[in-house]
Amino acid sequence: MNLDFSAEQLALRDTVRDVFERTFPAAALRALWGGGEPDPKVWRALADVGVCGLLTAAGGGSEVDLALVLEEAGRAAVVEPLVDTVAVASSLLPDRAAQIAAGDLRVVIVSARMPFVANADGAELLVHIAGDAARTIDPGDASLRPVVGVDRARRLFAVEIPEGAGELLVDDADAVDLARARGAAATANVLNGVGMRLLEMSVEHAKAREQFGRPIGSFQAVKHQLADAHVALDGARGAAWYAALALAERAEDAVRAASVAKAAANDAAALLNRVALQVHAGIGFTWEHDLHLWLKRGLALQAAWGTTAEHRAVLAGHLFEEDVDA
Amino acid sequence: MDLRFTPEQQAFRAEARAWLHDNAPREQLPSSGTRDGFEAHRAWERRLHDAGYAGLAWPSEYGGRGADVMTQAIFEEEYLISGAPERVNVVGHKLMAPTLMAHGSEEQKRRWLPRILTSEDVWSQGFSEPSAGSDLAGLRTRAERDGEHLVVNGQKIWTSYGAFADWIFALVRTDPSAERHRGITFLAVDMSTDGVEARPITQLDGAAGFAEVFFTDARVPVANVIGEIDEGWTVAMTTLGAERAAPAKPAGRYLRDVRELVGIARALGLADDPVVRDEVARLYVGAEAYRVTTLRTLSLLARGEDPGHSASVTKLAWSGLEHDIFATGLRLMGRAGEAFATAPEGWWHRYWYARAATIYAGTSEIQRTIIAERVLGLPR
Repeated sequence: MNLDFSAEQLALRDTVRDVFERTFPAAALRALWGGGEPDPKVWRALADVGVCGLLTAAGGGSEVDLALVLEEAGRAAVVEPLVDTVAVASSLLPDRAAQIAAGDLRVVIVSARMPFVANADGAELLVHIAGDAARTIDPGDASLRPVVGVDRARRLFAVEIPEGAGELLVDDADAVDLARARGAAATANVLNGVGMRLLEMSVEHAKAREQFGRPIGSFQAVKHQLADAHVALDGARGAAWYAALALAERAEDAVRAASVAKAAANDAAALLNRVALQVHAGIGFTWEHDLHLWLKRGLALQAAWGTTAEHRAVLAGHLFEEDVDA
Repeated sequence: MDLRFTPEQQAFRAEARAWLHDNAPREQLPSSGTRDGFEAHRAWERRLHDAGYAGLAWPSEYGGRGADVMTQAIFEEEYLISGAPERVNVVGHKLMAPTLMAHGSEEQKRRWLPRILTSEDVWSQGFSEPSAGSDLAGLRTRAERDGEHLVVNGQKIWTSYGAFADWIFALVRTDPSAERHRGITFLAVDMSTDGVEARPITQLDGAAGFAEVFFTDARVPVANVIGEIDEGWTVAMTTLGAERAAPAKPAGRYLRDVRELVGIARALGLADDPVVRDEVARLYVGAEAYRVTTLRTLSLLARGEDPGHSASVTKLAWSGLEHDIFATGLRLMGRAGEAFATAPEGWWHRYWYARAATIYAGTSEIQRTIIAERVLGLPR
């Protein structure tokens, strides 16, 4: 039993952090907010460092390797479909592994449970999950209607898929549950990465901003809020890493661990969101300051792949169905 | 990362589970807050020792098993599941012993360690004072040298098992003119010494728990000083480090407490109430996240690292969770909650103990300040 990351896993995280700093600075995020389209060089760079094919058979990586990559994706607030394509679709589309690994196939998941789909217009393939079945859909067969959302960089669409379109991929409740668990666990990691960025920005602000002749970070009321945010984030990150490990090891509790991870990430994200704006105060309430870009990503991802209430309801089902003495 | 235990660890788990199943008292022992109950607990400690389960983590040269942290955690978990009695010599086994191993003379180790292992000597901790709680260095208990003795005067408080312990290790001020963290000495005191008096303190729930210990011209041999006179702060840091490094509270405890809430909800006909289900699931998420936190801490300890300030993160996590579980339990019980009969047997004792969790072993306020300054790097 050990929950340490390996040196290789940490090195991959550093590599990906460099990729995002190079290809997706905050100015690039601003450009998306201004209506620009995602720059293909980000996805290309991820393919080049082996992230796109990480979970394909030839990629040789695991969900645990991916966990830290996803945190970096949240820290950088990239919009590339890492969760949908790498975390979820890799295992559903073994025949397309080479294309996924090469960065030639961006897959976006359309789920009957999720009313809107982010960046659906950039996908080369859609996978539609409904009930116990998953189908592949040619984007040309789907109709996409743009929807304005809280996080403009996410480019939301309401996606309509004609009855019976596409090809059946799986028709198996367990496989679809597992796919949903992969999406929830992966999104938890991304959301925790958003939280890491919010905390980093807030700590920097608390050190720099002075009132009453002292940095506001020296005041206990500010310190304690940030400490609580750190504690919540630390627990949520661990829960999401564990879910990744449980998925990688095909553990019995993997699906449940994914719900724990997403619910914990949502709870932490809600706290981080509140504390970050409170600590930034006036400047955080401006359009000019970057804080709101991460606040809004956090709000959007709290609902993606299952709200807190949905995941808690799943877990309550497990708890209340167990034997009293179990 | 790896979820599997080694074959040796699995075999140990099976062995410990079987032994506890066969040997743990079926009936609850009388309260450790009474003399008879305390001695019954001591007798149980002796059986644990005879079976090789005391000092599991101690190096073999001191009579322990030299078990790795994972094996210790397995034992703690099995112990919890078995429902075996409260351990009354944790202070001896996990605080005094490692302190002695690090700073004691050969003579001191030979004298005290074997008796700690068997619980012939039960130890208590004399750090807190009426005016030195969170601010430990504010301690005022004095000790003045008189030949081969130190003459101790002052008062310790909140001393767990203080009323029945055989020994106490105390921090005493030997040089009042030195700055706060200097001039302090780490001293082992036989509780039967003339001038040492322990008075039990009745806790807010009516139970006997801790004690206050008074020292009035108590003459303690200089041979009982651990480390050097006036250098006790360094020794105390080892004790506090051992407290941090002891694997945190077993997560199984909170998962059990959450399942107990499920039982309470069922008994009250609330099992289908969506608000209740949401609340209980929220706590389950907290307990599971904490379980992972303990596994991460164990991984770190297994690498031989000191958890350092992350111990503050862990403490805030479990104490907050414990608080939250019992506060939720009281809410579930609703209008009938004030009547003892509504709750399971012993629930209220645990309720109050949960309320203490954010106070003992470093208050939540102290932990938050440590995290803010040492982990996040905020200015003092």
